[in-house]
Amino acid sequence: MKKRRVRRSMMAATTTIIGVASILLAGCTADSGGDDGGVAKISFAASTFGDPGRGPLLNQWLEEFNKSQSKVQVSAAAVPYPTFGQTVLTQMGSGQGPDLIRFDMPEFEAASDAGLIAPLDDLVDVSKYTLLKQPDQFVVHDGVRHGVIFEASNYAMFYNADLIPKPPTTYEQFVETAKSLTKGDVFGLAFRQTEAEEAGVWQDIFNYVYGFGGKWSDGKTLTINSPDNLKGLQAYKDLYDAKVIPKGADAATFRRMFAEGKVGMELNNGGYVTATRGQNAKLNFNVAPIPFPVRTQGAILAPVVINEASEEKEAAATFIRWTLEPANQVKLQEILGASSVATVTQRSAESLKKTPFLPVFDGLTESSLPQIVLGFEAKTPDIRKVVVQNVVAALQGQVDLKTALDRAQQQATELVG
Amino acid sequence: MRRFRIGLTLRIVAVLVVLGIAAFPLYWMLVTALSSNADLFAERPRLLPDFSHFGVFVDGLAEGKVGGWLLNSLLIAVGTTVLSIGLGIPLGYALSRFSFRGKAVLTVVLLFTQMLPEALMVVPLFSLFRRFNLLDSLAGLILANVAFVLPIVALILKGAIDGLPRELEEAARVDGARPLAVLTRVNVPLIAPSIAATAVISFFHAWNEYVFAVTFIFTPEKQPASVGIANFIGELGTPIQTVMAVAFMFTLPAVAFYLFAQKYVVAGMTAGAVKG
Repeated sequence: MKKRRVRRSMMAATTTIIGVASILLAGCTADSGGDDGGVAKISFAASTFGDPGRGPLLNQWLEEFNKSQSKVQVSAAAVPYPTFGQTVLTQMGSGQGPDLIRFDMPEFEAASDAGLIAPLDDLVDVSKYTLLKQPDQFVVHDGVRHGVIFEASNYAMFYNADLIPKPPTTYEQFVETAKSLTKGDVFGLAFRQTEAEEAGVWQDIFNYVYGFGGKWSDGKTLTINSPDNLKGLQAYKDLYDAKVIPKGADAATFRRMFAEGKVGMELNNGGYVTATRGQNAKLNFNVAPIPFPVRTQGAILAPVVINEASEEKEAAATFIRWTLEPANQVKLQEILGASSVATVTQRSAESLKKTPFLPVFDGLTESSLPQIVLGFEAKTPDIRKVVVQNVVAALQGQVDLKTALDRAQQQATELVG
Repeated sequence: MRRFRIGLTLRIVAVLVVLGIAAFPLYWMLVTALSSNADLFAERPRLLPDFSHFGVFVDGLAEGKVGGWLLNSLLIAVGTTVLSIGLGIPLGYALSRFSFRGKAVLTVVLLFTQMLPEALMVVPLFSLFRRFNLLDSLAGLILANVAFVLPIVALILKGAIDGLPRELEEAARVDGARPLAVLTRVNVPLIAPSIAATAVISFFHAWNEYVFAVTFIFTPEKQPASVGIANFIGELGTPIQTVMAVAFMFTLPAVAFYLFAQKYVVAGMTAGAVKG
């Protein structure tokens, strides 16, 4: 009798708590959406929405799309840059996520390989547009189009013109300039060097590897520990050891330092132009090709794709078609700075006057490569992790660089099978 | 007498040093938020805040997003705290007072949940939440947080209830109290310090949580402050002063909550110290 009473009371207590919890949770539950009067609402995730300078302008550009449409409305899905790829891929892998995504190439390849991206052939007729062939080839797999280039941005050398009147044209001059500028609170150079910025380190070392004649693979076999790769990464490590960079500073910090005239040189892509002006409109900076022995450098290729799980694919395709219209491409290019867009566009005289070094970026398009491992595109994020881990270990003196690359080669080969 | 004074002085110095170490990150956030661009990377860092740049706080709040983020964080943290304590008390009581088959196994299983990193749980939880239409809702986030916090809350409260003499409950029953009344009127007041301690744990966990929040919430207006602050970190640039100003504002409610709960927590930590 007593036991039954205890049980009844406990049941009553549990029911009360669940009831209170339900009332509490009901107040916080998601809106069900409801009928939006036949207007398809889609979301667009891009890590660039968070960039000072570019972010607000991109949001305005989306508003222009919304004003031009009566049946489709797009909104920016705010996914923070530091965990962008991981977050969006998790959401897409579970059949959710934004309708449109601007991916960087490694994540694009992984998503494409996993079937998370909707084929565009039936949704967007690209034959109507004059697409840039070099970057566009990387978003078509086995004849199936998985995306359209949103931004193609070649890497070049940014330099503070007040600190460096004449830019270096050889690697030796590059090193000498970096050393001579480093004193007090000014550093000659800056690059990423910590495992916390894995994707960024990969982007940075890509320029050293390819700039010294190396490559991550020959298309069939990984060549991580090849002599040319070792040469390029040794150059990267030598600069690290020469104490010409603000060690430990992350990209957000040293880019702000560049904008404040505290860093002399930085290898970065065309998108950096608007971002830098967004941080310091008065900065006197210029751009030149990266002065490494071989004129091959990385490029940020960022396609816009439609999520396979999206229930509004046609609406998302409407947005892509709108972006490809010539006037909208020109506007997008002006927002993105020195980057290229999907189609061939003409730089306006006004743009060239404001940014005279734009032709430097345009001239690098043919020699720029996306930062993926050719032949192992979908495995790039995994290979990147292994390579960056080992290179950072070498930077920190835990192992010599040759051993680190041998180890990376072995680990990555096991990974790709 | 002199030895007593020296001892007291040393203790005060030690307390001030510890206090300084604890408060320095908060102070440095304030100084950085109020720095000019030139001061930010000066060779000799500025040690005192320059209040002429206070506008960065005003601008941060004026944008409207920050207030919304903080409100969402508050709802999530309070919801998690209330629910985890509401469920943790009966669970802790059951583990402490009832004998049933598998009790030891259940206790160990509860501990297991504490050994799994959040990142490992994101994908399965995401699929589960999708099925129950809990994605993109603060309610879902509260449940996810409760799932992580509840075991530790229940185990702490179980320990606290273990320390209570059963005679008190028996006396209450003799006086005619029903079991629920025994729990709520006899046990709960006596374990109030432990409840306060678990409230702090739950609140802080939910306040700082990032991995679930960034993955489960899609709508910008529903993001908590932990994710909102990360939105300032761009691919090509980060407004450092704004980030620090918002981060400073983000810490204040948590500090206020701790100050509110502190006296109970301290009492909870010392409770039982004199028991024989």
